[in-house]
Amino acid sequence: MRSYLIIAALSLTIISCGKKLDILPQQNVEESVVLSTDESVKKVLNGAYEALSSTDLYGGNMLMYSELLGANGELRWAGTFNQPREVYNKAMLTTNSFITASWLSAYNVINICNNILSATDVVVAADRDRVKGEALFIRGAMYFELVKLFARPYSAGNVGSNPGVPIILTPTRSIGEANYVARSSVQATYDQIIKDLTDAEGLLPTGSGTRAQKAAAAAMLSRVYLQTANYAGARDAANRGIGYGGFTLTQPYAKAFNSGRTAAADPASTLPEGVFQVVVTAQDGGNSMHTYWSITLYGARSGDVAIEQKHLDLYAANDARRALFYTGTGNSLTNATIRTGKWKFIYSSLSIIRLAELYLTRAEANLRLGTSVGATPLEDINQTRVKHGGLTPLLTVDLNAILLERKLELAHEGHSIHDAKRLKQSIALGAETFAFDANQLVLPIPQREINASKNVIVQNEGYQ
Amino acid sequence: MRHSKLLFLAAILFCCQLAWSQAKTITGKVSDAKTGTGISGVSVLLKGSRTGTVTNADGTYSLSVPSPSSILIFSSVGFETVEYDAGSSLINVSMVAESSKSLDEVVVVGFGTKIKRDVTGNIARVKGSEIANTPVPQFTQALQGRAAGVFVEANNGKVGEGVKVRIRGAGSLSASNSPLYVVDGIPIAEGGVGINPLADINFNDVETFDILKDASAAAIYGSRAANGVVLITTKKGKSGKTAVNVNAQYGSNKPTGHREFLNAAQYVELLREAAINSDIIDGIDPLDPDQYEDSWLEYVENKMTSISGWSDWRNLETNTNWERQAYNNSARTKIIDISAQGGSEKTKFYASGSYSDQDGILIGNKFQRMSGRLNLEHDASDRLKIGMNMGLSRTYANRVAADNGFQTPLQLVALAPITPVRDLDGNLYDDPVTTYYNGLVELESVRRSSIAFRNLGNIFLNYKLIKNLYFRTEFGLDIQNQTDDYYAGPASLTGSGINGYGSSDWYKSVNYNTNNYFNYHTTLQQIHDIDATLGMSYQKYSSENVSVAGQDFPTDDLSRLASAGQITSGSSSVTESAFLSYFLRTNYKYNNKYLLSLSGRIDGSSRFGRLSRYGFFPSASVGWVISEEDFLAGAGAISFLKLRASWGITGNAEGFGNFAQLGLWGSAKYNATSGLVPTQLANPDLKWEKSEQTDIGIDFGLFNNRLTGEIDYYVRNTRDLIYNVPVPGTSGFANQTVNVGSMQNKGVEFVLNSSNINARDFKWNTSFNLAYNKNKITKLDGTQTLIPGNDGRYLNSLMVGQAIGIFYGPKYAGVDPLTGDALWFESDGKTTTNEYNSAGNFIVGNPNPDWIGGLTNTLSYKGIELSFLFQGVFGNQIQNGAGAFMSTGADWWDNQTIDQLQRWRNPGDITNVPQARFNYSNGTGASSRYTENGSYVRLKTVTLGYYLPATVIKKLKLSSARVYISGVNLATFTKYTGWDPEVNTDYRASNRNQGGDFYAAPQIRSVTFGLNLGF
Repeated sequence: MRSYLIIAALSLTIISCGKKLDILPQQNVEESVVLSTDESVKKVLNGAYEALSSTDLYGGNMLMYSELLGANGELRWAGTFNQPREVYNKAMLTTNSFITASWLSAYNVINICNNILSATDVVVAADRDRVKGEALFIRGAMYFELVKLFARPYSAGNVGSNPGVPIILTPTRSIGEANYVARSSVQATYDQIIKDLTDAEGLLPTGSGTRAQKAAAAAMLSRVYLQTANYAGARDAANRGIGYGGFTLTQPYAKAFNSGRTAAADPASTLPEGVFQVVVTAQDGGNSMHTYWSITLYGARSGDVAIEQKHLDLYAANDARRALFYTGTGNSLTNATIRTGKWKFIYSSLSIIRLAELYLTRAEANLRLGTSVGATPLEDINQTRVKHGGLTPLLTVDLNAILLERKLELAHEGHSIHDAKRLKQSIALGAETFAFDANQLVLPIPQREINASKNVIVQNEGYQ
Repeated sequence: MRHSKLLFLAAILFCCQLAWSQAKTITGKVSDAKTGTGISGVSVLLKGSRTGTVTNADGTYSLSVPSPSSILIFSSVGFETVEYDAGSSLINVSMVAESSKSLDEVVVVGFGTKIKRDVTGNIARVKGSEIANTPVPQFTQALQGRAAGVFVEANNGKVGEGVKVRIRGAGSLSASNSPLYVVDGIPIAEGGVGINPLADINFNDVETFDILKDASAAAIYGSRAANGVVLITTKKGKSGKTAVNVNAQYGSNKPTGHREFLNAAQYVELLREAAINSDIIDGIDPLDPDQYEDSWLEYVENKMTSISGWSDWRNLETNTNWERQAYNNSARTKIIDISAQGGSEKTKFYASGSYSDQDGILIGNKFQRMSGRLNLEHDASDRLKIGMNMGLSRTYANRVAADNGFQTPLQLVALAPITPVRDLDGNLYDDPVTTYYNGLVELESVRRSSIAFRNLGNIFLNYKLIKNLYFRTEFGLDIQNQTDDYYAGPASLTGSGINGYGSSDWYKSVNYNTNNYFNYHTTLQQIHDIDATLGMSYQKYSSENVSVAGQDFPTDDLSRLASAGQITSGSSSVTESAFLSYFLRTNYKYNNKYLLSLSGRIDGSSRFGRLSRYGFFPSASVGWVISEEDFLAGAGAISFLKLRASWGITGNAEGFGNFAQLGLWGSAKYNATSGLVPTQLANPDLKWEKSEQTDIGIDFGLFNNRLTGEIDYYVRNTRDLIYNVPVPGTSGFANQTVNVGSMQNKGVEFVLNSSNINARDFKWNTSFNLAYNKNKITKLDGTQTLIPGNDGRYLNSLMVGQAIGIFYGPKYAGVDPLTGDALWFESDGKTTTNEYNSAGNFIVGNPNPDWIGGLTNTLSYKGIELSFLFQGVFGNQIQNGAGAFMSTGADWWDNQTIDQLQRWRNPGDITNVPQARFNYSNGTGASSRYTENGSYVRLKTVTLGYYLPATVIKKLKLSSARVYISGVNLATFTKYTGWDPEVNTDYRASNRNQGGDFYAAPQIRSVTFGLNLGF
């Protein structure tokens, strides 16, 4: 009998508790945890900025695509990487890994924003509008970048039927039929962008610094309206952006960029003119504009993007902005290849929207509409011309003068192809010329996306 | 009365006579046939009775037997049982060590043991004694060629590093393809980055390796058994006089192979010719002094002047053989092993200590291991047995960089033979005098050491509850602790520009395990034999990583991170997983003829999704011992014949991480503050890969079992392969880990063991194994049928219907005799083109061998024993990923292989080597041009030993003494023109990426002298 008791007792040892299998990771948390408290939702918002600052997006490549597509003989890609070269050559493969990464990263940011927007209830009331506004701003900005790069331009017309990009407004929890989303029209995409940014502008506080605020949302909206040729909208948004205050035109010009620092090791600081900027520190963020546009001497590659003399010739000889260019390759400053000084150093921020742009947008829109909302076009154009260019003020102004000033002031900051498209300017590459609405000036939808969506997402024309 | 007294006396005398003739006393000595030493504890039993005794410490015995016509049975663990007629009063017995191939030996199965004769699954056994004292650091290497269907391949000849083991082919695309290793009942940890947990084990402590190959043998290990299971049982003590054994080995190591490169004269000629050819393409005649300026020839000649350093290439002043610089000419192996075993009837022990120090053949490569072991067993009562097995080890490794690093020694072969090693002041030349980084700088400026401590042990308790019912509990602990220190001084590639770079990585892993099970065994009516095992096990793994890195060091002497001017990164992380399992196995044997075995295991793991946390892994097998049937009884030649068939399902839960099933968010940093970002999409359905295997086999013994063998046919279908399936990126994610693909392995295995000659003084045994396996991917993610893998160097692709990692890419068509252009076939397979991008894609090779095999012969004559193993791999191809650097007709500065002397030079030349063109790549794209047959046969090990005669050892007061010489990889027979056909370059070795060669070090050929003393 005793034996059987022992057997019974020992039998218990082989019955164990299945709860021992509930092991959770220690470097990661489950999604249910992430969106449950005020503190954690704010950390997710910080994560959204981190994702936004990826080199695939505002950390550089989104700006670079625009500049390489719109090079127009004023700069050239001289580096060894194939992916930017394909963009520069307007001969992009649907498998281009840079483009694929940018697409994926943009939707990663959008998904993070959708997560935040789904959980604003747990944010303390005092911060709720700000958190919601920042998420809407970031989401709207990403859709705007996507539609500009991956869809036919708004200026090409047929906006109701030309495909824009898929619009996702809810967070992804699992993969099901609902995740196979087709592209919305260009118009529908722009409608969503305007809604997000308008809401954001209403919710955000005023101020400055590295987080989105009212001026950033208004400035982004002014860009959106400008793309859609809604000059009144662009004018008023730019005017509001200037009016919110908090930013000043820098002197010297270099202070608007990291180049204003005396050395690469300067302590990180924000750019005083940056209405919106993404931060790069030694610990986080990336700056691929620095990587490809600067040289080894300043910690970059040997110099992949070379500026052509044709571009320099556009500046007046005494324009201070011309002095920001330098020559060099690798570790040497004696080589004759021209480089832009805007991206010389890696830290502390990439300027995404500068105050100068708002003056120039307001000037252009006022001029086109024959109005003087906020200031006259002449007053606005002389702002940058005098403060940044160190030139004498103009006495009269026309549209061409404003567009040239805009081109020079904002050169190599990611505006090239977008301005060319809205202004219906063609782009030259050697003997070839591409019309503003050419298929080759639109990035291909990544092949992996066509495949993974089971062809629900359609490829752009010219890439099928 | 007097008469009656006489009668009584007579009767007594008669009785005495009778008694005398009945109670005969037999004495003698039992000794080891090999060593001549006495064996203690041998059971001497009168057949058919309970009368018996055991031998004394010196092997002598004395036993009274009732009649001279009786038979004595001598048996002892580890020796073949022998029977003798008790005809003489002095019977000296010489016992032969049991060969591992005996049908009566007891093999280890999961949670129990079984007599080989009754096994219905497929279990290959390698005895520790077969591979003892093989001078290689890891037991996996020692097992190469020893067991049918077990493919072993070292990545390269770096000592103590990665070794691929595949049992019956690869079953997985992205999870692990390595077997589960179980040491004394504990599944051991897989190890972290750069950690090889198997190198910690001193295999001289191992009694047996039992390799569970088919599903019925392995299914008791459930979700981790799909790639087979290797059960390692360490040595146990025997009661009797304490036997001490000392083994010492000393030897030298050399590379197995050599690849011939151009000498200075050939290099200069080739480079100039290539430059001239490129100039001609540009429409320039560089030999015309007016056109020389800015020509390729000028560029090449100027560069040759600069890379010749102090010497003049025009007079061929320097002729450096860089390959030789990569090798350590005084590489040695030193091994000392001491073991002791013995004990009383109740308490037995085995203890050992070992030190092994092996230099790699590459400069700066070294592996050392110190280990100790204590195994104890104690019978507390006739019901209760307790014991422990405890192993400790410390390994120290000096690693060299991965094969693709400029720092790895063998990349020195890329340097020009016209470049001197050192300048006139004796300093090493480096880039830009050397055309690439001079890897010799590493030896002087870089320290790379890795020290690992391992504690692998368990305690157990075995209790007899009632008759035939036992309970066993085991608790095991496996602790690893490793520190990797790295310092690269300012002169080195990594440390340059930042004033030196240092890192320190600390890894700790704790794995504990408990097994608790009942075993019941009974025989009913002498014909129904029933054996059942029921139990559970729980295992938890946790591992921790801490790392820190810094730069800017004041001097090379202060290489610890305390001296770093800047700490550039630091991190720590933890990960855990657990398995909870229940298992049941029943074996039934009817009349020794019919065998049935059923098993089932339920495995739960934290690694599986919430909706599929537990899996069930059943197996069934049957056997029919035909030789026990009446119709075969007395069928002369056939002494044993068994048919068996098995089926079962096993799983694979290793190699896809601990948390692939969860929807996760991880930390992010923005503007020096922390944030959270999504990192992984949840898959609550994620589970193990599922492998279903059917095996049909025959075991046979002929001529009184002097020839035994096994033939097996198996089909293994693996489903639900883990795969990262792309999902719409608009979801915010790129892919999701799901169970989707499938793969098949089919094969045949043959095993033959023969006792060719078994005379008193001369014995010759042969064992042979041969296995064929065909691997086939049957499904990828369901939509793709091809994932091409041409990355410019290699062609490893995934293709439905083909083996994993097949070479798929352009097919080289030789050289156009008119132009010297390299040609490839277009997709029609007939037309040729000199445009690489127009070439079609073909299956041009397969890294998976068709056949693998091994042939061992052991011959002994008196005290001399010779044993040698040939091991072979057949039907696979190797892709030289470095072909586009080393065999390109001087496309760049790399020194070229000697075959480039066969290059095309004049119209009409028929050759396979295109015209040399500097910088105008002629035929350098990855193609079948760099694919070669990888088959080989290798004289893997040879051991010649001599046992000193008993008279001598007696004088020396030893119990045995043996001197031996042992060689590893002495000869290789292959058509492969590279260094060594056993290759899988380390920097990319994976499930898919196999069969690549990239400056991979050849294997180690070593010759060692050894001395083995018994006390």
